[in-house]
Amino acid sequence: MNDLSVSVSAANGPVPQVALPDAPPKVTARGLNFYYGEHHALKNINLTLGTHRVTAFIGPSGCGKSTLLRIFNRMYDLYPGQKATGQLMLDQTNILDPKLDLNLLRARVGMVFQKPTPFPMTIYENIAFGIRLYEKISKSEMDGRVEKALRGGALWNEVKDKLNASGLSLSGGQQQRLCIARTVAVRPEVILFDEPCSALDPISTAKVEELIQELSEDYTIAIVTHNMQQAARVSDKTAFMYLGELVEFDDTNKIFTSPSDRRTQDYITGRFG
Amino acid sequence: MSGVKPAPEPGHLGYTVQGIGVADMAVQSDIMEAAGPYDRAKALSAFKFGDVTFYWITRACAISVLLILGGIIVSLIAGAWPAIREYGFSFLFTSRWAPSNDPPVLGALGPIYGTLVTSVIAMTIAIPVGLGIAIFLTELCPQWLRRPIGIAVELLAGIPSIIYGMWGFFVLGPFMADSFQPFVIKVFDGVPILGTIFAGPPSYLSLFNASLILAIMVLPFITAISVDVFKTVPPVLKEAAYGVGCTTWEVVRNVVIPYTKVGVIGGIMLALGRALGETMAVTFIIGNAFKITGSVFSPGTTISAAIASEFAESDGLHQSGLILLGLLLFVLTFFVLAAARIMLMRLEKKAGN
Repeated sequence: MNDLSVSVSAANGPVPQVALPDAPPKVTARGLNFYYGEHHALKNINLTLGTHRVTAFIGPSGCGKSTLLRIFNRMYDLYPGQKATGQLMLDQTNILDPKLDLNLLRARVGMVFQKPTPFPMTIYENIAFGIRLYEKISKSEMDGRVEKALRGGALWNEVKDKLNASGLSLSGGQQQRLCIARTVAVRPEVILFDEPCSALDPISTAKVEELIQELSEDYTIAIVTHNMQQAARVSDKTAFMYLGELVEFDDTNKIFTSPSDRRTQDYITGRFG
Repeated sequence: MSGVKPAPEPGHLGYTVQGIGVADMAVQSDIMEAAGPYDRAKALSAFKFGDVTFYWITRACAISVLLILGGIIVSLIAGAWPAIREYGFSFLFTSRWAPSNDPPVLGALGPIYGTLVTSVIAMTIAIPVGLGIAIFLTELCPQWLRRPIGIAVELLAGIPSIIYGMWGFFVLGPFMADSFQPFVIKVFDGVPILGTIFAGPPSYLSLFNASLILAIMVLPFITAISVDVFKTVPPVLKEAAYGVGCTTWEVVRNVVIPYTKVGVIGGIMLALGRALGETMAVTFIIGNAFKITGSVFSPGTTISAAIASEFAESDGLHQSGLILLGLLLFVLTFFVLAAARIMLMRLEKKAGN
């Protein structure tokens, strides 16, 4: 049941009215292919994520959005039989370089998952844990960093009195913001969001969306979403993917008002997907 | 109920059963009616009888555990009573064991010491190795190697303890006495404390050899249970930890083990329970000496080994003393399990749940 009207953007308000000037590229994919064993899951992807811009990835299930996201931080490397070919650059670093230090890559490219994934430790430790992996800092300095990260995750006021409670004791929406705070705490350059709101209620979703907008001032953001209004609300650029191909990649405004490809048009108006 | 059909209306049922339309249901209820009046109350009472029977059978099974346990405790206490009356608490603190004296002098300190020392050493060896195997199997092992190692671990658990005993006696004991023990004794010679713990002379039959065999025997318990609980960690949680830049070791230490600690400790306790009570293999290689020396390379005995090696030729107060040893083992195991429970509850409290 998809009852979107023809004009999604008009019905759902805030779409950036003026297209932002082109940002310098942060992540650049050229002829990127991805294979799950024999299955050719992504075909010849070319795109750039602009620095401090939000790029949304939309498309029907199984089109390869999440797969693409998992290439950006080499998460697929954990599983045998998955491989990527082509070129994928993070500034001057080749992400696909087999000799690349994955831990350092993942410090630069953070990820927030579909389901909240607090670690089995206290709220404080959930944040401090990531910081400690890279920096040796004093207790008071750490306290400051944890507070800053939790403020960054718009969670500080809700948890400041129970930093020693388990991260699992928070509500789903709070857990997701804790995960965002944890990602921010490591000071990445790029943050990947893989359907960050699909397990959240509308109010938590609104908070996370607001947070994403704020974060885009300091971070380059890629977000996969099934929710087209969400893509329209939070992103500057939108990529429509279908069956492993990048069908259309343009300003969000343009994608939702006058897409140039027939399939994009059909998808955003709810004719399939 | 005569003639009146208290069966549910066909339409009502038709809605609740998915996939069967109202019309189909009506047809079915016609068939029921054709086969004679459907007595719902009778059918229900038949079900109810089945339910009650089922309840009592399962309840009897559960209660039988309590009865068996109670019976064992009672008969142990009854059998041990003469010894309890004769020796009282001094039984616990006497290290001399002279059953052929008249009257026999019996003290449990030697076996208790041996039981605790062998178990502690065995667990010290088995926990890191067992967890190491489990971590390797679940997190690091290439796919093709997983099955062979997994099967080997399972086979290790399946070897009867008598075979461990013989192997320990004919292979491990000589090897330890000829190669390992002289080396360690030489290394720690003159070092305070450690020099006493690893003091000579080397022996085929020793506490340390028994501990080593115990470690090998309990290893599969720790590994198998840890592998099972490690597999319950959601992949996305591990991905999240890798996502902030953790190495495999950091993921295991900070996410996998904290997430699974209750299960891992459960496996360790099961292994400890086995180590405390293991009889046959230990009897073969521990030397059955009731004396206490500081060195782990000297022969000793454990509670179960003492009972196994002496029970057949015992009578009177001697036999009662052996039964009392059995009762002590029972109590010891109970306290270990209770301590494990308390530890788990503390852990959960600390985790803030």
